[in-house]
This record gives sequence, C-alpha cells and structure tokens, in this order.
Amino acid sequence: MSEQLKFNSDAEAFQQKRLFRFRLYFAYGFVLLLFAFLIGRMAHLQWYNYERYHGLAEGNRISVETLPPTRGKIYDRNHILLADNQPVYALSMIREKMDDIHAFELDLMNLLDGTDPEKIEEYFKKFRKWNRSKSYTLPFSISEEQAARFSVISHKHPGVSLTARLKRVYPHKNTAVHALGYVGRINIKELKDLNEKEYLGTNIIGKSGIERFYESRLHGTPGVQQIETNARGRILRKLETVPATPGEDIHLTLDIELQNYAEELFGDKVGSMVAIDPQSGEILAFVSMPTFDPNLFVDGIDQTNYNRLLYDPHRPFINRAINGQYPPGSTIKPFVALGAIENDYISPTKKIYDPGYFDYAEHRYRDWKRTGHGLVDLNDAIEQSCDTYFYELSLDMGVDAIHDTMAPFGFGSKTGVDILGESKGILPSQQWKQETKGKPWYRGETIISSIGQGYNLATPIQLAKATAILANRGKIIQPHLLKDELKASSSAQIEIKKISNWDKVIQGMENVMHGKKGTARRHGQGLPFKMAGKTGTAQVFSLNQGKYNADELAKRLHDHSLFVGFAPVDNPKIAVAIIVENGGSGSKTAAPMAVDLIKHYLEVDVKPTSNNETKP
Amino acid sequence: MKLDDVQPQQMYRKNKGLLHALHIDGWLLLGLLLLLTTSAAIVYSASGGDEAVITRHLIRVGFALALMLVFAQIPPNIIYIFTPWLFLSGILMLIAVILFGDIGKGAQRWLDLGPVKFQPSELMKLVLPITVAWLFAHSQFPPSFRRLLMGAMIIALTASLIVVQPDLGTSLLIAMSGLFVLFFAGLPWKVILAAITTTVASAPIAWHFMHAYQKQRVLTFLNPESDPLGSGYHIIQSKIAIGSGGIQGKGFLGSTQAHLEFLPESTTDFIFSVLSEEFGLLGVIMLLVLYSFVIARGLYIASQAQDNFTRLVASSLTMTLFVYIFVNIGMVSGLLPVVGLPLPLISYGGSSLVTLMISFGILMSIHTHKRLLTD
Repeated sequence: MSEQLKFNSDAEAFQQKRLFRFRLYFAYGFVLLLFAFLIGRMAHLQWYNYERYHGLAEGNRISVETLPPTRGKIYDRNHILLADNQPVYALSMIREKMDDIHAFELDLMNLLDGTDPEKIEEYFKKFRKWNRSKSYTLPFSISEEQAARFSVISHKHPGVSLTARLKRVYPHKNTAVHALGYVGRINIKELKDLNEKEYLGTNIIGKSGIERFYESRLHGTPGVQQIETNARGRILRKLETVPATPGEDIHLTLDIELQNYAEELFGDKVGSMVAIDPQSGEILAFVSMPTFDPNLFVDGIDQTNYNRLLYDPHRPFINRAINGQYPPGSTIKPFVALGAIENDYISPTKKIYDPGYFDYAEHRYRDWKRTGHGLVDLNDAIEQSCDTYFYELSLDMGVDAIHDTMAPFGFGSKTGVDILGESKGILPSQQWKQETKGKPWYRGETIISSIGQGYNLATPIQLAKATAILANRGKIIQPHLLKDELKASSSAQIEIKKISNWDKVIQGMENVMHGKKGTARRHGQGLPFKMAGKTGTAQVFSLNQGKYNADELAKRLHDHSLFVGFAPVDNPKIAVAIIVENGGSGSKTAAPMAVDLIKHYLEVDVKPTSNNETKP
Repeated sequence: MKLDDVQPQQMYRKNKGLLHALHIDGWLLLGLLLLLTTSAAIVYSASGGDEAVITRHLIRVGFALALMLVFAQIPPNIIYIFTPWLFLSGILMLIAVILFGDIGKGAQRWLDLGPVKFQPSELMKLVLPITVAWLFAHSQFPPSFRRLLMGAMIIALTASLIVVQPDLGTSLLIAMSGLFVLFFAGLPWKVILAAITTTVASAPIAWHFMHAYQKQRVLTFLNPESDPLGSGYHIIQSKIAIGSGGIQGKGFLGSTQAHLEFLPESTTDFIFSVLSEEFGLLGVIMLLVLYSFVIARGLYIASQAQDNFTRLVASSLTMTLFVYIFVNIGMVSGLLPVVGLPLPLISYGGSSLVTLMISFGILMSIHTHKRLLTD
C-alpha cells in the first residue's frame, strides 16, 4: 500500500516537476525574448538613431558664444585718444535657470541702493514675461564696485550672470562731435543692411561722422567660442576659441587741441569752421556749432535729452561743416578774379570806376560801400571787396565762365570728405538753371552771382577746400579726416596759362590782411607771418526760405559772417574757412576768429609734437 | 559507489571545497561579482569621481555581500518555519507606515526606527513571494482553485497596503513577484490569459484612481516631448545619453550627459543611461548577457530544487530580478513609464541592493542545502 502510494507520489512528483520545468523554460524564453527586445530598442537608439542623439548630446553640452570684437580706438593726429572703450558691467538673467526671481530682485535692490526700486520692479515685470530660456539683460550698467559685490552673492542666484562689455566713451565730450560722430544701438533699418554674422554679439554701430564712415575698419570681426556647459548653464570649460579680430585703431588728421581752441572761439555763436593743411588736405579742425555730447547716444539717449537737442532752435544735430549751405558771398571773389584774368576778360591792371552802385537793365546794384571805392584795379577789388568791379566784370564773363573757373576748386560738388551725407552746394550755370528750375538764365542773375549771392550756395568744407587749392596755387587736394599716407598724395593740378596769375589773386588776398584798405587789415596787423584772406558777408534769405515768424525775423536777418584765408602766404600750412551764422560782416566776426585760429596753429606748429613722429 | 555511501560533508569537501562549505554557489557569485564590479565603476563615473559616494557604495556592497553570506547559511526549512511570522510582521509594518510613516517625497514609505529608516515595502519584495510559495508548499501542482484564490488575496492585500502609501510602482512589482509564484505553481493558462485581458480592460478604471503625478508620468511617457523641461526632461535626456553612446560608447568616464548634469539621478535610477553612454551598445549587450547568466543560474537552481517551496521561492525571486531589470531599462530607454526603480545590482542605493543580495543568499541556500534536507 505504502509502496503504491510512494509510486503514485513519485509519478505525481515527476508530473509536477515536468510542469514546473516547462514553466521554467517558458519563463527563461520569455526573459531572453524581452532582453532581445531591449537590445533591439538599444540598437534603435544607439545605432539607428545614433547621429541624432549624438548631435543632441553635443548640442546639450556645447553652446556657441560669439565674442564681439573690440571697436578700434580713434586718435587725433598727435595720438590723443578721441574715442575709447571702457569696461562696464550688466546683469543678465535666464528665467528657467533661476531658483527664486523674487529673492534676486530683493538682493538687487539692496545691491543697487540709490537706483529707483520702481524702475527695477518694472524691469522685473518685463523679465517675468520674457522667454524663459532666453537671456535678459537688465538695461542699465552697474559699477565695478557693484559688480564686485554681486560676485560675492552670485552663488545664491543661479541663472544670473554678470556680463562685462566695453562701452564707447568719448573723453573730449562735445568737442569734434560732428567729425568724430558717435555710436549707438543698431536700429531695424541698419540691421537690414548689415552682414549679421559680422555683428553677432554687437549691438552698437557707428551712427555718424568718422564712426560711421570707417565703421568697417573700426568694427573688426567677431570671434567664436565653444563653451561646454552643464544643465544649469554653468560654464565648465572652453573648448575652441576663434578670437575676435579687434577693429583697427585709426588716427585722424584732426588736432584736438586746435579743434578745442576753435570751438572755444565760437563760444555760443552758431556756425562752422574748417581748417585744412593745404599740402595734404588733412583736416586740422572741423567745427560745427553748437555741438552735443556723443556719450549720450552710446547706450541710447533718453527722451528728455533727445528732445532738448532736437528742438534746440540752433539745431545742434546739423553738421554745418558739410551740410550747412550758405551763400558764399564775397569769399568767391578771388576765384572769379582768377578766371577773369586767366581768360583775359580783364587785365589785372585795368581800373574800373566804382561810384557805389552798378546800373543794369533799369536796376541799380549797390556796392556794400555806399560811397563807392573810386577807381579800382583787380588787386584793389579783392583787397576792398569792391562789388561794382565784379558786377561789371561778370557781365563780360557770363555765368558759365564764372562756373567754369570755380568748378575745378570744388564748388557745386561734394568734396568727398570721409563723412557721409555731404551736401553739394550750388554753383549756378545756364545749364544748371535750365535743368533744376526749367527756366533760362537771366543776365541780371549773373551780376549777383559774381559776389556769391543769388543761387550760389557753398558748404564750409567746400570753401576750405577751394581756399586750400588756391593757397596751393592750383594743386588739388582732397580734404580728409583719416590720417592715411595713401590719401595724402595727389598730383591733380589746376593748370593755368600764366602762373603769375596765382600771385596776382593771392596778392589781393594778402592785401585784405595787410593792405592799407584791406577789409581785415585790423586783424592782419602785427602778425608774425604773411596771411592771405577774404572776408564775406552773406544775406540769409536764400538759406532759410523765409519761414520765420515776425519776431524772430530781425535777428535772423542778420548777415552771415564769412572768412576764408590761409597762411603763411609763401608756404601755406593752414587754410581756413569760417561761417558765423547771423554774425554780421565778415571782417567783424569771422576774420578775427580765423586769424586767432591760424595764429594759434602756427605757433603750436613750431612745437615738435605736431610732427606726429615722436609718439607711437 | 553509491551516493548514499558518502557522508554529505565529505562529498562537499572533496568536490566543491570551500565555497560549498560556506554554502556559496560559485557561478552565481561570479555573476554577482562581475555585476557589482561594473556597478562600482559606473557609480564612480556617474558621481563624477566622488570618492565619498563610491566609498559609501563599496561599504554597502560589502555589507550586502555579507548579508548574502549570512542568508546562505540559513537552511530553507528554517525560512519556511518563519514565513508566516515574517508575513504577519510585514503586514503590520505596512499598516504602521500608513499610520505613522515618515513623509518623504510626498509619499509615506518609511518607518523611522531611531537610527535607521526602514522601508517595509522593501522587505515585502522578499516576504510576499516566499509567503505565497509557503501557501503552495504542500499542495499539488497545479494547486486547487481555493489555494490559488488565497494566494491571490494575499497578493492583493500586500499590494493594496503599498499602493496607498502611495507607491504604485513598487506595489505592482511586488504583486508581480507573487503572481510569478502562482505562475510557477501551475496557474492554468486560461486563467493567466483571462487575467491579462481583465487587466488591460480595467486600465481606464485604474487611471481613475491614480494620483495626478502618476497620471502625469503616464502621459509624459506617452509623449515625453510634450513637456521637455518638466517631467519629460528625464526621459529625453536619458535617451540622448543612451543614443549618443553609439555602438562602442564614449569610453569609461566619458559620459557627458551625466557629468554635465543633464541626466538626473545618474547614480541611481538612470545609471543604465550612463553605462550605455560610456560603453555603447556593446556594453549594453554585455550587461544583458551577464544578467541572463545570473537569471539562468537562478532558474537552474529552481529546477534543481527538491521541493515545491524552494522551487517556487527560487524561481519567483529570480523572475522578480528579471522584472526589475526589464522595467528599469525599459523606463530609462523610454519604453515604459518612469517609475522610481533602481537597476538591480548596478544602481547606487542601499535598501534595494540589500534585498537583492538577501534573495541571492536564499537562492544559494536553496542550492547548497538540498542534500542535507532530503537526507
């Protein structure tokens, strides 16, 4: 019985063992199947999709950062810094990486005590709506000391980083702003024309003057840095760096000391002055008054300051040196005179009687001197600025001859100075009038044209260039602000038949300063060098189109005071053109300023520093 | 020579030497040591070479190995005798957790016993399958329907006490270990199929009872890209880590995802991602080969076991190991929803390693004590 049971038990045990073993095999098969499935999954991720995940992993850890180039510095001809870069600090925040925005806001208010907390609150309100993964930079600079204090607590605020950048600074502030220009934030219009790659990481661009004209040289090329970061954005190491190529440092032809002197000469007068080295065309001083502080624009100007400048009746934003178009008045007489004797319209020795007026076609053209100059020859006419002489002469010449004699000096066309947006001025001719006004030229217009009135308009830089060419006895120069050896050499020359004709005109101008009856003889007295000049007084109607109200009219109707001149006569080192708006007669206001400037420059010129050899 | 003529002790000394004298299964130990060595290396790498972490890990490994050795000495019949008491105290502790448990990470899973925090659900990973095996120890295979029902009720009770902690993941895994016992005891295929069908059909009901964060995990699992910075972040970064490992991997200590802190929990739940990033597909295959070797040995031990109790214990503990492996790898590779579960024998972490090593101790005990038991 027991045997039977045991047998049964064995049989059952065997049966159970078989069932159990089968389930084991089944389970192990299941295990292997699912492991194979996992391997399939891994192969899918690690083999089939390897490229994708590899890229994602690299993208995860490597972020590319652009290194904006350092903007080139700008120096004057004596290596005095005009535009510099100074380190400033700002705070950037990335929302998704920050633990507690509110805590940081409180800490920041502590850190920046003195700054309006409402303003900070406003910025944070904006920040809380900002893209959570994009960096937001607080729109103000913090001082070096505040930056240091932030560094101490920075560990408490992941996602907040201190960014240092270089800010453009103009140490001479208002001085030479119209030549130097300034930088400001890139606007949408500029963005369209930009090579975006070149401006990665940069948000400023040259807006005017030299800063704009030489933008490409000053800007440089950005570098690239690959940075390995962890998930919290902490920089772990720098992988590959292509350093930024800094912008070129440039030297200007300006003499900032002279420039400053010239601006001081103006005081609160409105106008412009351009001084050129006639040998090279280098602009020594480039004045447009009033000026403004370019530093205001670097980080974006605030509305109050902007409005103050924009609505200033003297319009400081206008670059009068290249955009102020003034009737040149008597300052063109030497050029007309040169054309007259060169083309034998008159002999230099021929005398014309000036009763104080000139009658033509039932119209009386008055001389500035009511009593008249009496008998005057060419020399006298320039020296005394005799209008009648030129009235009579111009009728023989005709407007086209006057045009042709003046055009080579650069009247009526851009000088090509290295600042954008220059105005052309107007040098009228028969053709010019037909083309622009659709009307024929009247002879009476020739008469007023001969003394630089009527249609004639010139910019201060045009006058300076023409004067420099005259001082050179015809050697054409290109006025420029960049001190560059290539620009200095030019062989263009105004060819004339009789070389002595230069001397005749220049003699007349010398007499303006040093002659018995010279219009600026008071200012030419006692000069240690010979100077040539020409005064001018321009009526203002043509410039301002009569859009003034009655109250302002009287003041506004004051003549513009003009003067052109150069010195020393034998070896000209400086040529100057100056216009003082509503300054009255040229001899009264402009001439003494020009003389002061030239005196100052020639005295300074003796010093070795201005040779620009000693300093690097 | 007949087997009966040889004294057991003599046989062991002669043929198996020291290992058998210590009740150690050599093959299992080899597999375990290979895995634990791998673990030490990966934990070292994933922690960024943190010596404090690796030291603590090695201490725990040593402690767990010692525990394994201790449990290997305990004959299965002793375990058998204590099983009902273990189960009862386990259930009581689970209730205590619900009543007095320490709240951590929004769930009550811990009992604070002064110096040590104790996780009763960890204990139940071992106790539940053993209890169910105990239930079937003297029954025929397949057991009677009544016994199967009793087993199912024990499983349901344990699982429901854990699910309210709440810890759905552990609860499901523990239930699974109990269900394996039913399976190996010979639960009819018809019932198995019916159960699977019922489970699938009742998924919407389960959904209804889930916590918001659990629902979120499931949703995230279905579409991790929907919330790339929130809960989907882990899975996306883990897949990037795995995928970027390629076939050969980035080399030991070459995991950028872990070192640069993109990968969360890189020493614990997501350690597999580090391994696959550093050793690539080849490393993964090697690991799975090691695992299948250990599993094969466990199932072999079960097949050699001499009574139903040890058979069921050995086989269900082995299959539980497998489930943990599969769920963890499936989770980090985006095949399964994210549940907090370490990778067996590889992850840094104390309690799960201890539980596992105890279960290997039990396996070794089953294998080395069988002659003594039968004779």
